[in-house]
Amino acid sequence: MLDVQDLVKQYSDVQAVDGISFIVNEGEVFAFLGPNGAGKTTTVEILECLRPLTKGSAHVCGYDITKESEVKEIKKNIGVLPQNYNALDKLTVKENIELIAEMYDKHLKVEDVIKLLELEDKAMARFENLSGGLKQRVGIACALVSDPKLVFLDEPTTGLDPRARRDVWDVLTNLKKTGKTVFLTTHYMEEAQVLADRIAIINKGKIVAIGSPQELIDKYGGQKILVVRSAEKTLSDKLKAKFAQVTVISNGDVHIKIETTDELYRIMGFLTEMKAERDIEILTPTLEDVFLKITGSKISEEGEAK
Amino acid sequence: MRFVAIFEAVTKNWLRSRTGLFFSIMFPIMMLFIFGSIFGGSNYVPTMTAAFIMTNGVIGLTATNTEFKRRGIIRRLSITPLTKTDWIVGCILSQTLLNLLLTGIMIGIGWLAFDVRVIPDPLTILMIFVGSLLFSGIGMALSGSLKDVEAASAIGNVISYPMMFLSGVFIPLSIMPSTLQLVSKFVPLTYFSDGLKSAIITKSTGTTLYDMGIVATLAVVFITAGVLLTRWKEK
Repeated sequence: MLDVQDLVKQYSDVQAVDGISFIVNEGEVFAFLGPNGAGKTTTVEILECLRPLTKGSAHVCGYDITKESEVKEIKKNIGVLPQNYNALDKLTVKENIELIAEMYDKHLKVEDVIKLLELEDKAMARFENLSGGLKQRVGIACALVSDPKLVFLDEPTTGLDPRARRDVWDVLTNLKKTGKTVFLTTHYMEEAQVLADRIAIINKGKIVAIGSPQELIDKYGGQKILVVRSAEKTLSDKLKAKFAQVTVISNGDVHIKIETTDELYRIMGFLTEMKAERDIEILTPTLEDVFLKITGSKISEEGEAK
Repeated sequence: MRFVAIFEAVTKNWLRSRTGLFFSIMFPIMMLFIFGSIFGGSNYVPTMTAAFIMTNGVIGLTATNTEFKRRGIIRRLSITPLTKTDWIVGCILSQTLLNLLLTGIMIGIGWLAFDVRVIPDPLTILMIFVGSLLFSGIGMALSGSLKDVEAASAIGNVISYPMMFLSGVFIPLSIMPSTLQLVSKFVPLTYFSDGLKSAIITKSTGTTLYDMGIVATLAVVFITAGVLLTRWKEK
């Protein structure tokens, strides 16, 4: 559905995208995960034919984005939710979706899209009177109304409160069930982990890792850690003596890295024997750990690398 | 026929923007009352109509389109199969409708307040249409080349106000110094205002057609500039 090879975007003195290559398969939800300024939106805008590329090649739905004659076909086959989506303020939800629908020769029934996005109650409300979450849902409706083969969602939940973000996730989870191919950009780790089949981590214009969330966690996330909360000294000494990779933290917590499931059972058995099984917790690595391991930085709520 | 959908959407958007619509119509009416009361209404019905068709294009359309650009609305539409020519045609037609509405109201006020009894003939309507094309074309060219709304308003004002004074809309050209009379020949509003005056008041078809020819030529130039300057793709 999407085939990108050695894509480069150079602005006068900045290399925004630095030779990235990836493929997105049909029916897949593919996430581009990275901090602000990593090159996510530039890449998406190149693939949407909004910006020219500097070097490399890209095919969208089988069409070459560098050939002006094929751009028309690409536009017919993609649906887009741009970053910071906006619509005509004084028009209603329905009128805004109808406007986008009328740009295509073939489109879905606007009423069906409104129903799919659960916007029936707001169909006659003006866009200017909607909350941030509802505006994003209208944007997703506009992206879907042409029944596209490929949907680009550029930072669909940025700036939304946690509840509105969850609402949009529900919509995207339903979209995933319809089998649409989705290209999602985000700086929210949880969003990528919940929604994506595969993730490309992009940093400073380069793809630094690519794979399914579990593959990335298995490869880069490190081991699971069993935590014994506020362990007494005698217990922590016994754990250190019996198991490898035991660390005692200053607050008294004991961290034990777990290599295998067998090892986990052995530790649990020991803790049961010691009657210390109550205050234990298993920490599973997340995409945040993956990102930290690969790039040496974290991504803040606002999307900045720190 | 995508421009029809754009025309419909943009028109609905401004018709529902009550404050904007109110001032787009009330300001010309107010100016017509002021100048008509001082100097008599007959000349000011066509010249004020011409002046405000000009400001609707050069200030109004420039600001609206720059705002659409800032808010990403044009960018959103450019990702669809819509062409920029369709976008521009839709916007210009919407502006033309506003101008026809304004002309009707100005003629009505002229009739009621100043006893200027005018029934617009096809030549007058054609003149309004061609003038709308010209000043909307200037608006599209300006908004195509500007990025922020504040700059759009400022530049729109800088272009509009001198144009109003230098075209004889407020003060007759005959009492102006010869240098300014010469400058007025390079001001597009001069031809539109004169053409409208001859269509509505003096009923001089020859003069109307001559002015219309100049306005139409300039309209082609500025609409072409609008098409060239409106970016459908970023750098």
